Amino acid sequence: MNHTMTLRMDRIEGAIIRTLGLIERRGFTVTGISTATGESEHQMEMTVELNAAGRSVEVLARQVARLFDVSSVSLAKQDAPAMRLEESLAC
Amino acid sequence: MKGAELVIKSLEREGVEFIFGYPGGAIMPVYDALVDSTMKHVLVRHEQGAVLAADGYARSTGRVGVCMATSGPGATNLVTGIANAYLDSVPIVAITGQVPTSLMGTDAFQEVDIFGMTMPIVKHSFLVRRVEDIPSAIGEAFRIASEGRPGPVLVDLPKDITNAEASLAPVWQAPVEAPVQPDTVEVENAAELIRGAARPLLYAGGGIVIADAVEAFRTYAESSGIPVVATLKGLGAVSTRHENFIGMLGMHGNQGANKVVQNSDLLICVGARFDDRATGRLDGFAPRAKVVHLDADPAEISKLRHADAALLGDLSSSLNALAAPGDIAPWQTWCQDRRTEHAWRYDAPGDGVYVPDMLRKLTDAAENYVVTCDVGQHQMWVAQHCHFDRPDQHLTSAGLGTMGYGIPAGIGAKLAKPDATVITVTGDGSIMMNIQELATLKRYGIPLKILLVDNSSLGLVRQWQELFHQERYSEVDLSDNPDFVEVARSFGIPGFRIDRRDQVDDAIQRLLNADGPIIAHVCIDPKTNVWPLVPPGETNDVMLEEQTA
Repeated sequence: MNHTMTLRMDRIEGAIIRTLGLIERRGFTVTGISTATGESEHQMEMTVELNAAGRSVEVLARQVARLFDVSSVSLAKQDAPAMRLEESLAC
Repeated sequence: MKGAELVIKSLEREGVEFIFGYPGGAIMPVYDALVDSTMKHVLVRHEQGAVLAADGYARSTGRVGVCMATSGPGATNLVTGIANAYLDSVPIVAITGQVPTSLMGTDAFQEVDIFGMTMPIVKHSFLVRRVEDIPSAIGEAFRIASEGRPGPVLVDLPKDITNAEASLAPVWQAPVEAPVQPDTVEVENAAELIRGAARPLLYAGGGIVIADAVEAFRTYAESSGIPVVATLKGLGAVSTRHENFIGMLGMHGNQGANKVVQNSDLLICVGARFDDRATGRLDGFAPRAKVVHLDADPAEISKLRHADAALLGDLSSSLNALAAPGDIAPWQTWCQDRRTEHAWRYDAPGDGVYVPDMLRKLTDAAENYVVTCDVGQHQMWVAQHCHFDRPDQHLTSAGLGTMGYGIPAGIGAKLAKPDATVITVTGDGSIMMNIQELATLKRYGIPLKILLVDNSSLGLVRQWQELFHQERYSEVDLSDNPDFVEVARSFGIPGFRIDRRDQVDDAIQRLLNADGPIIAHVCIDPKTNVWPLVPPGETNDVMLEEQTA
């Protein structure tokens, strides 16, 4: 399932790698990234295209929102409701 | 004022009492400034000892633990302890020296990218590139480490920054944030679920003590009469002696506790995160239960188990908002019957030391105690058989399972609570992971009471190889261990050895009555296993009971 996550974040050392690292570590594939200058020179907007391999993208959004460099997270597009992890892990 | 002095002033401003650390090249300016400070520095003998002692201090006090190391290997030696604090939500500030900014990125001597290396295991981190930013970085590090769901924060300080002069010493003021209250709609949803439940259960996690919500939890547990099970870190949320406490759930939990979980129709999960060691196979965990989840961390809601109602924010406020259940008397009786049916037994055959019985007697005999433990079979026996009246009496590496945690955590706990009797229960595998900290015990005269359970093997791994790998034993034999009593003696710490059941009572008295640090070396049968056990990949319905040869 493909999703687009848009983040407002501080333009600060480590912020991009910290965010992308979290997304990949939590089991998502990043398929596209773009960045743009934010409202001030200290801020940026990052748009991440990601593939949710059975994990809840809403939970991911809350995990990303916990990062102190990130001021807001929105899921701009959702193809279908995300599957619950307990369903995807049934084994 | 130099950057290093700003570091020290900032730490003093936070009310830091102890710094656990180890000096080296890149952190030398800070150690130089430390000479003039009133804060006490505890020189450990390996940086992992520093971060784990800071962890033990933090868990014992609820305050931020502080550790410090130099760049390169000093910093990398902190990594395991930082991960330990991350997985168990412990507030730690780890301060590392870094090579000068002009050398960063040149593969300089003792240079590693500790900022990048620790990103997945910190709550947040700072790489300070301007001397003026030191007070705000350290101030924010303390705030972030302790607010909401706590965790470790790293502050990496290049040497040229700590050596630089700041023209003005800025003062950093922490913003004051009101605790988040649970959503009223979710409170009502939870109330409906609780009122409609016939078999509700309180599932207590480590978040209760972290959020300082033990009293609120007990008040609700008492007034509602809802039976309680606990995770490894939730033990003591209600006293383990309380009649409504059914036991620890999970892989090495009590079978009665697992039965009540599997039969409940509503789990009220308080500060727990559905860890796989607690749930067993997730799709078979409490299959008929709806879930009310109380937590400080929004990212835990519906991460592993869907929450039918989620109360986020301050745990005490959420607990105070919980509704009373209806008539659950038949369920209470059923749970009590399971508690009785699966009460631990201590009538093991033979005359060798039966560790579960020794641990039970130890906490029966001790007063005002804290038990820290290492990782392995003894850790599960501590959880099963020691009594805990509060969660902060039990310091255990739950999430990461860090062998070597016990002694450093004991050091931190004893310094935090000088009046408490602090006992470290360790194993012959685990003690060797941080045995150098016996020197720290001796240097500072820290009267830690160490109970070393020695089965001459990596017991829990050996047990799994026996049960699940067709007795193909692979690298678990430790029968060539050193003489631990002699090792202790060489550090200047007295020790004694027992291997028979009739020596246990005297050993406990000797341990508890010692004035200084002491080791009781308890030798047991290498074939001893921990029971009961949920096999990996099974649901908690499948518990293996003791198998006698």
